[in-house]
Amino acid sequence: MRAIPLKSFASLAALGLLVTGCGQGLLGGDGDDKAAKTDAPIVLGMLIPQSGSEAAIGPYMSNAAQLALDEINAKGGVLGRKLELKTADDACDAQSAAAAANKLVTEGVDISVGGYCSGATLPTLPIFGKADIPMIIPAANSQELVDQKLKHVFLINGTGSQQAAAAEKWIAKQGAKSVVLMHDNTSYSKDIALRTKALLDAPGGAEAVLVETVTPKESDYSANITNVLAKKPDSVYWTGYFQEGGLIARQLRQAGYKGSFMVGDGSVSPKLIEIAGAEAAEGIYATMTQTPDTLEGAEGWISAYKKKYNADPGPYSNQAYDAVRLAAEAVTKAGGTDGAKVIAALEAVDGFPMFSGPLKFTPEHTLMSGGFQVLVVKGDKFALQDSLK
Amino acid sequence: MTQLVWNGLFVGSFYALVALGYSMVYGIIKLLNFAHGDLYMLGAFVGFAVLGAVGGVSSSMALPLLLVVLLATMVLTGLAGVALERIAYRPLRRAPRLSLLITAVGASFALEYGMRAAAGADPRVYPVRLGGTSVEVLGARLTLQQLVLVGVAVVLMFGLNLLITRTREGRAMRAIALDPRTSSLMGIDVNAVISRTFFLGSALAGAAGVMAGAYYGKIDFLMGFLIGLKAFTAAVIGGIGNIPGTMLGGLLLGLLESFGTYWLGGEWRDVFAFGVLILFLTVRPTGLLGERVTERV
Repeated sequence: MRAIPLKSFASLAALGLLVTGCGQGLLGGDGDDKAAKTDAPIVLGMLIPQSGSEAAIGPYMSNAAQLALDEINAKGGVLGRKLELKTADDACDAQSAAAAANKLVTEGVDISVGGYCSGATLPTLPIFGKADIPMIIPAANSQELVDQKLKHVFLINGTGSQQAAAAEKWIAKQGAKSVVLMHDNTSYSKDIALRTKALLDAPGGAEAVLVETVTPKESDYSANITNVLAKKPDSVYWTGYFQEGGLIARQLRQAGYKGSFMVGDGSVSPKLIEIAGAEAAEGIYATMTQTPDTLEGAEGWISAYKKKYNADPGPYSNQAYDAVRLAAEAVTKAGGTDGAKVIAALEAVDGFPMFSGPLKFTPEHTLMSGGFQVLVVKGDKFALQDSLK
Repeated sequence: MTQLVWNGLFVGSFYALVALGYSMVYGIIKLLNFAHGDLYMLGAFVGFAVLGAVGGVSSSMALPLLLVVLLATMVLTGLAGVALERIAYRPLRRAPRLSLLITAVGASFALEYGMRAAAGADPRVYPVRLGGTSVEVLGARLTLQQLVLVGVAVVLMFGLNLLITRTREGRAMRAIALDPRTSSLMGIDVNAVISRTFFLGSALAGAAGVMAGAYYGKIDFLMGFLIGLKAFTAAVIGGIGNIPGTMLGGLLLGLLESFGTYWLGGEWRDVFAFGVLILFLTVRPTGLLGERVTERV
């Protein structure tokens, strides 16, 4: 299998392969259970936000997952079986997510490849665990997920602690003296902010002078910004999502803030720039894993995505795509969808090529190298500022 | 200090504008219209669409253009409010109060997710933004645009107050609030007046929506939820059903949030706001100015 398929097959060609790809069907009769089992598609489940505040992200992820699926199926699937994708809406909300996870379990999902909001993903871990379903989590990356120490959970996005380390590194590089951390009280955002603070609290270098919490979904953050400006910081780090991030960036600049403004990976979206307005957005830094824009050699993948969906891939498209490819790889290596075998196969993966680089898991089931880099807003997009290597 | 006051007044004037619709509707048919915050959202989107239709105007013309868009949006959102009352509330006029409340919550979801289906889940950004650099006044940073927005809000509120206290239409509203049956016996077309009340309340919410869109820039289909609750809180603080009280409640809530954030930190902002709501509901449910039983709207 090639690292990054640079060609998307026309659907006609895919159909042709579909017809030839079912050689096993000739052997097993309909009543034969075993044959039915080996002919049944391998079902991948994907919990993503399709409604609620983060609804915009869902399609980026499910589209990319479907793209990977089509490419794999066009090549004859996995172990001669087709892959099938079932998505469910977690609404970025813990209760909805638990219900949706149960729904996927009853629908007979073999492997989970979803999870965007950490707060919503957390309660789904035991649900999939009980059902013996390995989880490859493409985006959710709160340290809380790792701290559960569950065998069946694998994170292929850099974690909160890796992101905090990258943020601290960049703050030090800029020579900032006083830093304000802003988060929105969600598990993901608070985690990064507090970890960054812990790193900054070490003697020497910059000092975290304030951790300011904002309420998500508001429009006016002037009260928070008054608090921030009272501390006269050189650098502000926002670890929440892009909707508020754009507003905060704009309102900070309007209030006369001249220092550096940095955001976390939940805010890396063209919408952030649009919401902040070109003037306020220019020069915003971001800690982020690799995105389609900053990847070298992803042009073919981007055009394949565009061709299929008539839209640009967005944040976490590449991780969702990789999650499906990794699931297929693990099932191939495990020789089936047995949970324990797939987990063992995932643990043994070494050097599987992904957008974020060759994959190897740590004993904690996180990426060996977090792969965080610093981007900067130039004009209407995020460009690479520093790879922090 | 003055900065905190200004922040509070600015946010509060938005709360007050949205809260007025809550108050008027409650005053006249005793319904807490929980879809009211979503009319604010609708206004923001209608304004966005109207701006798109006008299109391609230089930013030097931003203010006058936005005023025109504001008026157009107020009319359209007002009509949407009338339609909402006609479809969702009028058939239930004689039903138990709880059915109306549940319907209002349903209407709220219908508006939110209807808008999501129509405009997508992604937040939209206004093409014309009120930016502006800030100037120092008495130690507070404010922009000309902020002043204009507060000015517009004040003008709208005073206009509404005049309408209710000085016109026949206003008198009819006050009469229905007092006793709908007798009013209709006296020849008042109760349904028409209720429709017009919805029109006014929704138009004000729509105006607030456009102003928020133009000033903050970002609009999305869930933007009305929180401000709806805040506006309800503002109405309760001032006295629900009481127009001057509601305006006062909006400004007070803005100030409370601004100072609460400063004293207790950002994570307490909403705890503070809704804590005050609970306090008022338990200690003084009629609000600061109270519902004047003799002539309430």
